[in-house]
Amino acid sequence: MEKQDLGAQLIAWRQEQKKESIRYVLLSIAGICSVLAIWQAAAMLGLVDAKLLPAPTKILETLIFKLGNKAPDGNVLGMNIMASLRVALSGFLTAIVIGVPLGLLMGWWTYADRFIRPIFELVRPVPPIAWIPLVVVWMGVGLKAKALIIFFTAFVPCVINSYTGIKLTSRTLIDVSRTFGAPNHEIFWKVGVPSSLPMVFAGIRVALGNSWSTLVAAEMLAASAGLGYMIQIGRTVARPDIVIVGMVVIGGIGAVLSLILSRAERYFLRWKVDR
Amino acid sequence: MDQKTTKQKNIHNVLYWGLPVLAVALIVVGWIAFSGAHPELMPSPLQVWQRFLKTFTKPIAKTTLLGHAWASLRRVLLALLVSWAFGISFGILIGWNKKARAFFGSIFEVIRPIPPIAWIPIIIMWFGIGEFPKILLVFIGTFVPLVINTSTGIEMVDRINIHVGRIFGGNDGQILKDIVIPTALPSIFAGIRTSVSSGWTTVLAAEMLGANAGLGSLVTRGWQGSDLSLVMVAVITIAIIGALLSTILQKLEKVVCPWND
Amino acid sequence: MERLEKRMEVKDLTKTFFNKKGYFTAIEDVSLDVYDGEFLVILGPGRCGKTVLLNILSGLDEQTGGTVIYNGKEWKGINPEIGMVFQKLALMPFKTVIENVELALKFRSMEKQKRREISRYYIDLVGLKGFEDYYPKQLSGGMQQRVGIARAYAADPKLLIMDEPFGKLDAQTRYQMQEDLLKIWEKEKRTIIFVTNNIEEACYLGDRIILLSDCPAKVKAVYPIEMPRPRDMVSKEFLDLRTVISDNTDLSI
Repeated sequence: MEKQDLGAQLIAWRQEQKKESIRYVLLSIAGICSVLAIWQAAAMLGLVDAKLLPAPTKILETLIFKLGNKAPDGNVLGMNIMASLRVALSGFLTAIVIGVPLGLLMGWWTYADRFIRPIFELVRPVPPIAWIPLVVVWMGVGLKAKALIIFFTAFVPCVINSYTGIKLTSRTLIDVSRTFGAPNHEIFWKVGVPSSLPMVFAGIRVALGNSWSTLVAAEMLAASAGLGYMIQIGRTVARPDIVIVGMVVIGGIGAVLSLILSRAERYFLRWKVDR
Repeated sequence: MDQKTTKQKNIHNVLYWGLPVLAVALIVVGWIAFSGAHPELMPSPLQVWQRFLKTFTKPIAKTTLLGHAWASLRRVLLALLVSWAFGISFGILIGWNKKARAFFGSIFEVIRPIPPIAWIPIIIMWFGIGEFPKILLVFIGTFVPLVINTSTGIEMVDRINIHVGRIFGGNDGQILKDIVIPTALPSIFAGIRTSVSSGWTTVLAAEMLGANAGLGSLVTRGWQGSDLSLVMVAVITIAIIGALLSTILQKLEKVVCPWND
Repeated sequence: MERLEKRMEVKDLTKTFFNKKGYFTAIEDVSLDVYDGEFLVILGPGRCGKTVLLNILSGLDEQTGGTVIYNGKEWKGINPEIGMVFQKLALMPFKTVIENVELALKFRSMEKQKRREISRYYIDLVGLKGFEDYYPKQLSGGMQQRVGIARAYAADPKLLIMDEPFGKLDAQTRYQMQEDLLKIWEKEKRTIIFVTNNIEEACYLGDRIILLSDCPAKVKAVYPIEMPRPRDMVSKEFLDLRTVISDNTDLSI
């Protein structure tokens, strides 16, 4: 076959690929649009009660309204977002700072494992939400209390994944380092920790999801600001549009946070080339 | 030399078996000390035990602790049955069929980041605080991990396994049933495991925000009635049942996927 | 060598892959004949080409040029008369040995008792009697590949393609498997296309050897082998052939 011929085939192939990917993007958009369209039509035709499910256009209206308006929960949307982020991130970051080293420690040194494990195993099965009443009684409803609840929920996956990650360090790598006379703590830092990183990141990702979801619970049960608080008030004053705006914003921020995390993961694990 | 190694061994044994005992002892002592110093913040272990016994003689909201535990479990189990059926089928659909993935997957991706707990207010507005809305909430909480795990499992099936199916004359349906789904089974099972723990958490949240029965309602009741012993009894029961559920699932996985160890 | 019937004819087969950066030709103008009942070895030193070629012959992949003629007719897509033994084994880890072997029969909706009977015969043939209910993970590499061979045979193919089936085995097991494969073949004659990158293995097994070049793979030479079986790997004839082929082979490291 002639070389020019192949060049022409390549161009044709690229065009076909492009068409194909556009087709799938269109299909994705069609999926979301059809849901919105059905929703809008149902609301406009009065098939669903507007007091229970307002139309998407109404939701958008409320979203814009909430940007600069304090009603009905007492904070503009931006304030609520900031309040929620502050709580979620302080709990989440504390959990990483404490949980990851703890897990690594337990995975590397047997005695640390033997000592910490029983405590950890006792705490682990308690769903984080169940801590809310105790923590509120102990510490009130301030930032620290809520951050502590978030901490509980983010802590567990951080520990488990770091522990498993470092336990899975290749025996060969450790033995090679030992043969070259590296002391145990050096092998820990230079071999154990790096090779556990992919698992650690997976744990952090789970922790982030848990944090954001538990945050809503914490704010619904005890708070005076935040997105969870906003949707709870929306419910008590019978404003489904406020509730749905809250849900959309919670979902959106959750998605953005996990996107940021996967970018960070790609950056930190750039040495780990797939295939 | 020999003596030294025996001595080292002894030290090792003492630490190895002593440390866990020490850890548990520390928790117990810490608890007793804390409850002694601040009885208003923390009931003592003895009080919690007595409160536990009392739940059987003096029913709360007309039922015993076991009744409440069963109320919570029932909700979770009912919701799980539905979400296993729908979540796994949906996961298979979007994992196997690219077009379905583009169309339905996008809708799923939009809904997915909304935590199940954030659905509670709107679902209460729509359906009140009866049984159905709670089961629906647990369904939402368990559906998402199932779909994610199932569809990823199906997508990750090695192409060569599908080649084997085609070479030996299987049609799409046969390849899906005999090769792709079993290959993805461990991953689907991981989804089932996540769904159970997520469902258990969601049911608590739903019950804490409004219910007459269930362990979550006991937590709220104890909290509002300043009966911290009751809160502790409920929390401990929740933890035990949660741990039991995950043990049962681990055992079950060995039965369902015997080739996978 | 007497003229046998042609089971398959391959004419000017070319496969070019396209990607974002450009294109890459894996096989170019490959022409070859496969005669009925022969043990044909395709020997390729390179990384590319062999599996691509087999995937096209078996219908898993599509060529960008050339034709595959099977039993005198041009053929495209999966050919039900072709069976395959895969390089990466590709046994189903969740199926027991017998369930793996009966796969093709199950797909044909054969009733259980009959397909079990057939599968047992082939499991017995490859020497795995007694291991019917084991999972692949519980078997050694050589035994796993025996399951792969039994699976391919149970489908009752007219043409059997083997893609470097012994590539991952240790030398000792490999010799044993080569010998056993010939025994199985003597007993259950099929046309076989056997792909390998090992010259010795090619000389030991083949009725003919087709030597491919490195990327893109082209037919470099064809060697008919007249030595009777079992062949002596240290006989002069064998070593001479080995040297001839070896000198003509592209190095690829």
